[in-house]
Formats: sequence, C-alpha cells, structure tokens
Amino acid sequence: MLGAAIPFYILSFLVLFFAYKTITSPNPIHCALHLAITMINLAFIFFGLNSPFIGGVQLVVYAGAVMVLFVMVLMLFDLKTEVRAFSRGLFSSFLKVASSGFLAGILIVGVLMSTDMLDVTSDSVGVGVKATSSTDIALLLFNQYVFAFEVLGLLLLLVAVGAVAVSRIPGGTHAND
Amino acid sequence: MGVDLFEITVNLVKMIFIFVMMVNAVPLLVWVERRGSAFIQNRYGPNRVGPLGLVQLLADAVKFIFKEEFVPGKGHRLVFYLAPVVALIPGALAFAAIPLSMPIELGEFSQIPLGLFTIDLGETYGPYRFAFQGYEIGIGIVFVLGVSSLAAYALLMAGWGSANKYSLYGALRASAQTISYELALGLSLVGILLLFNTFNFKEIVEIQSQALTFSFLGSQMTVPYLPNWGIIYQPVGAIIFFAAMFAETNRLPFDLPEAEAELVAGYHTEYGGIKMNMFYIGEYGHMLVASALMVTFYFGGYTLYPFFTPETVNQFWSETMGLTGNPVALLSSLSLHLVFMVKLVIFLWVFIHVRWTLPRFRYDQLMDLGWKTMLPWALANTILTAVVILIMRAAWS
Repeated sequence: MLGAAIPFYILSFLVLFFAYKTITSPNPIHCALHLAITMINLAFIFFGLNSPFIGGVQLVVYAGAVMVLFVMVLMLFDLKTEVRAFSRGLFSSFLKVASSGFLAGILIVGVLMSTDMLDVTSDSVGVGVKATSSTDIALLLFNQYVFAFEVLGLLLLLVAVGAVAVSRIPGGTHAND
Repeated sequence: MGVDLFEITVNLVKMIFIFVMMVNAVPLLVWVERRGSAFIQNRYGPNRVGPLGLVQLLADAVKFIFKEEFVPGKGHRLVFYLAPVVALIPGALAFAAIPLSMPIELGEFSQIPLGLFTIDLGETYGPYRFAFQGYEIGIGIVFVLGVSSLAAYALLMAGWGSANKYSLYGALRASAQTISYELALGLSLVGILLLFNTFNFKEIVEIQSQALTFSFLGSQMTVPYLPNWGIIYQPVGAIIFFAAMFAETNRLPFDLPEAEAELVAGYHTEYGGIKMNMFYIGEYGHMLVASALMVTFYFGGYTLYPFFTPETVNQFWSETMGLTGNPVALLSSLSLHLVFMVKLVIFLWVFIHVRWTLPRFRYDQLMDLGWKTMLPWALANTILTAVVILIMRAAWS
C-alpha cells in the first residue's frame, strides 16, 4: 500500500505546485506550460489509481491537443502588454491568490460535507476498478452516469456560447470602455 | 515493480536497457541514412573514417559534446534548455511500452549455468514472468498515442524559447501539423481496435500469431498458411496510419517545420552541439516508435505465423535442440525478438528511402492532405469497418 501511496503524494504535490504556478506566473506562456505539466501529472495520477484509460484520454485530449492549441495561440500573439498587466501590483496578485484559495476552500468543504453521501469507506476505488477497460467505461457512462454525462455536455455548450458572447464584445475581455 | 530484489533489479535494468537501445539506435540510423542517401543519389557518403565510414559517428558524437553552447541573447533560458530534454521524453516513454518479444516465463532456479562453470546462488528464485518491454500498460495504444502527442511541446518550447522568428514559424508549423494529423492517426487505429477488440499490444500480437481466421456471416472461416495480420483486414487504415506517422515524425515529405529553404532550420535554428543532437534523437526515437507500431498493429508484431510463433519457437528449442527449462524460455523469447527487429529495420529503411525520394509538400497541400483527404478516408474506413464487423459477427442462424 505504501508503495502506491508515495508516488501518489509526490504527484499530488506536483499537481498542486504547478497549478499554483499556473495562476501566479506573470507570463501567459509560462502559465500555459505549467497548466500542461499539471494535466500530464493528473494523467499519471489516474494511471496510479487503476484508471489507465482515463489517464490515457487525459493525455491525448487535454495535454496533447487542447493545451498544445493554447500554447500555440499564446505564442502567436505578441503578449508584451499582457506580461505587464499580469504582474502589475501586489493588490491584484493578492486578489488572484485569495480568489483561488476561496475556490479551493469551497472544493475542500464540499468534499468534506459530501463524504457522508458518497460511500467512500467501503469501496473507495470502486469506480476505478470497474472502469479499467473501455467497455466498462462505456457501460458506466451510458447506464449509471448517463445524466451526469449529458449535463456535462450541456455545460460545454454553455461554455461555447459564453466564448462566442465574449468574443462579440469590442476589445475582448480587456475592453477599456 | 516486483516481489523480490531480483525481479526489481531486472525490471529496472530492462527499462534502462530499452532507453539505451533507443539512444544507440540513433547513430546507426544516421549512418544508414547518410550512406543510404548517398546510395540513392549515386554518391559515396561518409567513407573515410573507419571501415565503411562507421567510426564517423563516434567522431560526430565527440564533436557534438565539445561544441560551444550558448543561449540567444533575448531567448528564454529555462525554456531553451528544457526543450531538447522534453524532445527525448515522448519517444522514450512510448518505445518502452511496446512489447519487443513475448514475455519470458522463468521457472524456479537456484544456479546460473554459464557454459563451463555454474554460479550457485544458494537459494531458490522464481518463478518469474518478465515482459519483454520497459513496462506493461493494459491500454497500450491510448498510452502511446497520448505520450507521443506530447512531442509538440518540445518543438513549441524550442521555437519560442529561441526568440527567433524563423524558429517560431517552424514551431507553429510543427504544432499545427501534429494536431492536424493526430486526428487521422487516431481514427485510422479505430479499425484495428474494433477488429481485435483490445487496447493491449500483447493481445493484438497474440491474435495476429494464428492462421487467418474471421467470421463470415456468423460462421468461422480459416485460411491456412496466411497470417492473421491487421494489414489484410485494414489496408486503407494501414496506409493512412503510416502517412500520418510520417507527419508526426516531421520528416520529409512532411518536414515543413524545418524547411531549410524557407526557415533556415526551423525550430532548431538556434541550437547547436549536443542540444541539437537531442532533437535528432527525439526524431529518430519517433521513427522507431512509428515503425514498431506499424509492425505491431499491421504486420504481426514479433510473430511470423507459419514459421515463428510462440508455440513453434518453443517447440524448436525444446524438441529439435533438446533443451529444457529456463534456457528454452530465454532463447525462444530472443528468437522472436530477432523477428521483430528484422521487421522494424525494414520499416526504418522505408522511412529513410521515402525521405530521400519524395519532395516536400507546400503548406496548403499539407493541410489539404490532412483535413480533406486523410481525415474523410479514415472516417469512412472506421464506419465501413464497424458496419462490416457488425454484419459478419452477427449470429446468422
């Protein structure tokens, strides 16, 4: 058990560290690279937790495709002004850290409060063990978790609509007026 | 990792051995590439240093290590230094996950016979099962695809960290090309997944080590003397996969990222010495992975049905040669490894031959080929395979 726990804690620490660096780095490209490292670490945590398929998909989709596109687009733009805007002032960086801490706090409290609802003690890696093959994952997704799966799809649609709305604002997210 | 010290040691040595194997294949491949290109273009190639110019590689390595290293003035130091290291990782990780031969199943043993004398170990070890690969992962295909899709980062980091417009152009082209062709690559593999019903390399190879067997309208058909290879079921998928793999390795005819006529040398313009050599190792590592995947998916992996399958090789070493116990397991695994290596070398030669035969694409031709030709064909191949498998495997009675 200890042999599996040590890599898990090392990887978790790395995930938290690089996620923190993603938020606080002054340079957007460094942010994107840190986020990519976070994704890769997350994939390897999944490998360690007996869910190799999810880990592999995490690598292919997020680290391999989405983040490469992000990095590419960021490199295409000349972000010299962004660099200054990102690192300006103690107050704004304090706000950034505080808001991320606030969100992390919400997450932690949510997990702590929902441990009674989730049946954690009896079968803590139940889903992971069941979902080792792609057939099992497909069956789980389209039987047991079909509602959550569809709601996630709806959420993605919302994000797409939101992105279109943001791009319609003249000047983008950094409009002065 | 293993239950006792012996198993853990062997597993660690195996991982290091496979990495060293990949790195050491590079100078040999460079030599083959230079001599091969000379052969194709009717020249001599390197033939002065050592027999057939083989020691040229050693001289090159020494030169690479002792060259002056520098960072461009406005470059990003950390990113610039990290990029060559990152370039090594995808190839190494992916190559270690591909089975190079069948697993070695060792029984219990207490001494190691070494020809004239034997080493007595004192206690009994075993039984063990050593996979002939760096590490076994159940979902081999997804892992290899995921890891090799990380190769784009090395190019992007190199291009951006150099603070050079040519480098950045090369990096952008490279990542756009990688992302475009990854779609066709992934889709062309779906046919193989549907056919063999597994993500595991070992199982795929085991299915391919029999005679050609398929279900035809519900009844089982067997064609003797023909291997059950993927290429027989998926010729279109194989062609698309091979072409997409060329694009992933950034070699001619897809080497726009380093098109020297337009971009000096693309993303590694600013690199010299051992750092540029590391990009080369990454590229050749990708080539090795591509050839190994091609062999594993479409050409029977480490087996060659009528002659070299796990059963026939075992039979040869135990019955014809009269051996028993652990030497049989070791020798049959090694013989199948040789079969794999021969196939691998054939595909590596195809890679080299294509590089020195075809001209480079124009950028719009590259994108047209990726999005308008290969992607629709791969999609059609997937749908057709699914429909045919559904009809053929249904219970018609």
